[in-house]
Amino acid sequence: MILEGEKGLLERTPRREILRYMGIRSGEPDPALGKTLDRCFSEMLSAAEPRAAVETDPLALGGEDGLTIGMVAVQSRDLSRNLRGCRSVYWMAATLGAGADRVIRRAGVLGAGEHLCCEAIGSAMAECWCDYINDRLKEKAAKEGTLLRPRFSPGYGDLELGLQRAFEERLQMRRRLGITLTESLLMVPSKSVTAFIGRRFPEEGGE
Amino acid sequence: MAKSFLERLGKEWLFWDGGMGTLLQEQGLKGGEKPETWNLSHPDIIREIHRRYLLAGADILNTNTFGLNRLKFPRERELASVASAALRLAREARRESGREDAYIALDLGPTGKLLRPFGELDLEEAVTLFGEVVRLGKEEGADLILIETMSDSYESKAAVLAAHENSDLPVVVTNIYDSRHKLLTGGGTESTVALLEGLGVDALGVNCGLGPKEMLPIVKELAEITSVPLVVSPNAGLPRAEGGRTVYDVSPEEFAREMEKIAALGIQVAGGCCGTTPEHIRSMREALEKLPFRPREKKRRTVVSSYARAEVLGEKPVLIGERLNPTGKKRLQQALREEDMDYLLGEGLKQEKSGAGILDVNVGLPGIDEAALLTRATEELQSVLDLPLQLDTADPVALERAMRRYNGKPMVNSVSGKKESMETVFPLLKRYGGVAVALPLTEAGIPDSARGRIEVAKTILREAENWGIGPEDLVLDGLTMTISSDPGAAMTTLETIRLAREELGLHTILGVSNVSFGLPRREIVNAHFLTLAMGLGLSAAIMNPGSEAMMQSYRSYLALTAKDENCMDYIAAYAGTTAPTGGGAAAKTVSAAAAAGSLKEAVERGLKDLAVSETKQQLLNREPLEIIDGELIPALDTVGQGFEKGTLFLPQLLMSAEAAKAAFEVIKGKMAGRERETKGRILLATVKGDIHDIGKNIVKVLLENYGYEILDLGKDVDPETVAETAVRENIALVGLSALMTTTVVNMEATIRLLRKRKPDTKIVVGGAVMTKDYAEKIGADRYARDAMATVRYADEVFGADTIS
Repeated sequence: MILEGEKGLLERTPRREILRYMGIRSGEPDPALGKTLDRCFSEMLSAAEPRAAVETDPLALGGEDGLTIGMVAVQSRDLSRNLRGCRSVYWMAATLGAGADRVIRRAGVLGAGEHLCCEAIGSAMAECWCDYINDRLKEKAAKEGTLLRPRFSPGYGDLELGLQRAFEERLQMRRRLGITLTESLLMVPSKSVTAFIGRRFPEEGGE
Repeated sequence: MAKSFLERLGKEWLFWDGGMGTLLQEQGLKGGEKPETWNLSHPDIIREIHRRYLLAGADILNTNTFGLNRLKFPRERELASVASAALRLAREARRESGREDAYIALDLGPTGKLLRPFGELDLEEAVTLFGEVVRLGKEEGADLILIETMSDSYESKAAVLAAHENSDLPVVVTNIYDSRHKLLTGGGTESTVALLEGLGVDALGVNCGLGPKEMLPIVKELAEITSVPLVVSPNAGLPRAEGGRTVYDVSPEEFAREMEKIAALGIQVAGGCCGTTPEHIRSMREALEKLPFRPREKKRRTVVSSYARAEVLGEKPVLIGERLNPTGKKRLQQALREEDMDYLLGEGLKQEKSGAGILDVNVGLPGIDEAALLTRATEELQSVLDLPLQLDTADPVALERAMRRYNGKPMVNSVSGKKESMETVFPLLKRYGGVAVALPLTEAGIPDSARGRIEVAKTILREAENWGIGPEDLVLDGLTMTISSDPGAAMTTLETIRLAREELGLHTILGVSNVSFGLPRREIVNAHFLTLAMGLGLSAAIMNPGSEAMMQSYRSYLALTAKDENCMDYIAAYAGTTAPTGGGAAAKTVSAAAAAGSLKEAVERGLKDLAVSETKQQLLNREPLEIIDGELIPALDTVGQGFEKGTLFLPQLLMSAEAAKAAFEVIKGKMAGRERETKGRILLATVKGDIHDIGKNIVKVLLENYGYEILDLGKDVDPETVAETAVRENIALVGLSALMTTTVVNMEATIRLLRKRKPDTKIVVGGAVMTKDYAEKIGADRYARDAMATVRYADEVFGADTIS
């Protein structure tokens, strides 16, 4: 399933989150910074093109922290714990697109202050986009009588980053979302997120 | 003898085949399995699919080579045998089906890697990868080359160059657009068509991604702007998952009905992509064949483009920013000599903001490697700016290298009526595409009269035509001369503009500001000259978009000639402003700065604009060094201490550093040409594998503020590059940054190599995952908790005065 987001939903990105990414733990930024932040926000908003892909696969939990999601075998204690009780798992990849990266690059030329603002805004927007997708999946799950586990990304805990390749293949990330992986498994565009989301049945029963 | 592909292309209906991948999956191709290997392992199935398409009425077959390249098939022999089998199967199918009239297209899909600067693959590496397959395809009897499903215009360019440089086969390119009518890298139809037609492809179009219904509006856009034949190959609708498989819902009948609507827009070649079958092609052919065939007509549009943006000349005058030209600009000269690309980019962004539509780029300075520098500047500018560039050089090597690297269809400045100039520039235009500024002058000089200049223009047009370059790819320069030395000069220039337009139908361009040389208040004359020229139909002006007087002319002209709808742009620029009073000219308000307090305070509060105006004011009666020592450094100290105590947060520290940097820039401009004193030189890099460079950039800004010269190697930097540069430049301190656990190993490798090659260099490390213990473990001299800590350590290493 491919999702394309409306810009309106990114407009709701919580300011507090952005400030948190910038290292401002409390209070408002001073007026000069606040103005820069507002300007960067509208630039990021107009450049962002939120896209996502979601697919679902059955889950088989094995012993010794091993699990199989669809055709992919994974070894991770932390993910096994996260997915305990689940029968199936969503693969999710979400991105703000190449345009957002360009705004961040431009900001890097304009100044480190702008750069920091745009980086923080991008990260918060990507989270906001993921939360939106998460909410849609939750609604769907509720209709089916299932519950969703918190999303879990490669690189969290002991879940190896190498799994990015499996996401790339399973979700056809390059073709469908324009996300490519570098040799060191970083995603380009940089404001992209991959995650597993487990689906759990509260009690035994069919789908 | 059957007609060749080019003899039929664009003159009659031609039908391409449909999907291959979906049919192979039906036959048992597994996810993750490379379809190209089936040429060897399942030849009968591949041949049968080709045969079915031919019998269904396809005139062109795609070989099963979409993903065939050295990245996916690293062994040369395997690459060759797969290519050979793929072509052989297509030939056999053609013979067996009795369709000797059909053509075999060597199918090239994307490499799967993103090109630099966003990804890792270099343009030339991509050209090499595609070139290998092109040579194999040509040897094995391909009739043409199809470059398809390209989502990046730059990669399309690499593939076209490879096709042209390794074969003489016809080349067709189809791109994949999304529902927003964009390529994934941001290009639109206009910029993509400009690039591809510039490169001289034989046909272009769209495939994959969408079904015929969703593709129709994209085809409509393409049909309005494209001169070469159009190829359209949609999927059989949008994909849908069903029981772990991808399925497409549009039936052959419905596909044919939708394709009829698309055909009515004036396409010449129709085919199918994912989910389409021989039945889709059959029913489409039956439906379309009955429709009247319309060949394309030449659009004769003058378009220059960047990766994403296109400027169409003739709709309204285009402003070409002239500020990236070192003539008479000391600060830019210094930046070019130091390869300070940030300065260049900053100047570029400023012009974009001021309203430039194209940027002129000239880096010519005595004693500089212009070819290398123009190429670098082009790459840097196109990675950050959206604007198309005008490559401005008299050096043919520099021009060729920059054009090759350019991601779009550039403007080229310039070609003249001199034989040598035409023989140099026209082949490059033919090969890489571009719109050239044509100077109506010859070996005998500049004709005095407008008539004389028009005669030279005719010569240039004729010679261009011999190279297959149409008048739409030339823009005539009226040649602005100085009125203070020749009173009739402007009249001649304006008359040239008028005649070029009325008699030759040519677009025109002027470098405006020469006209006023030697006169006082030059802006006044420049602005009015611009108005007169625009009134005669000038298409583009090379000027300073930061000049308010010129912009006033420009905006007024657009408003007066109904080229600014409801005067919106004019109102946006001037609503709420008042005309300067008093003398009028120098109405800069310095009083506001004075009232707000000192430069020191401006920096402490992070007010960049105020810091700049205050610095300018102070420079009138203070020495640069006095300002630095008396205002800037104390301000930074105050902020730095606040940050260390935790009363100030990082963003505020940064804003102050930026304000100080802007103030330094002003001072640098004043001191340009003089040697600057630095405390020392420091090399900074984000290690290999890491593209998070924000921390490193913050450190850079601060170190620069504190008087250090920074060699910034950027991000994702190879250990070898760090070590090699440290040795070559004799660097005393290296700063390395890593943000991710996975890249700390590369930091360690970099340190090890540095220790071996240059043991006396000190190394400071930082980054989100770094700790003091870890830094010691991997052999760094110092762990810096934050940017200020790095400054402190640098002062320690270089024995500079420690800030109190």
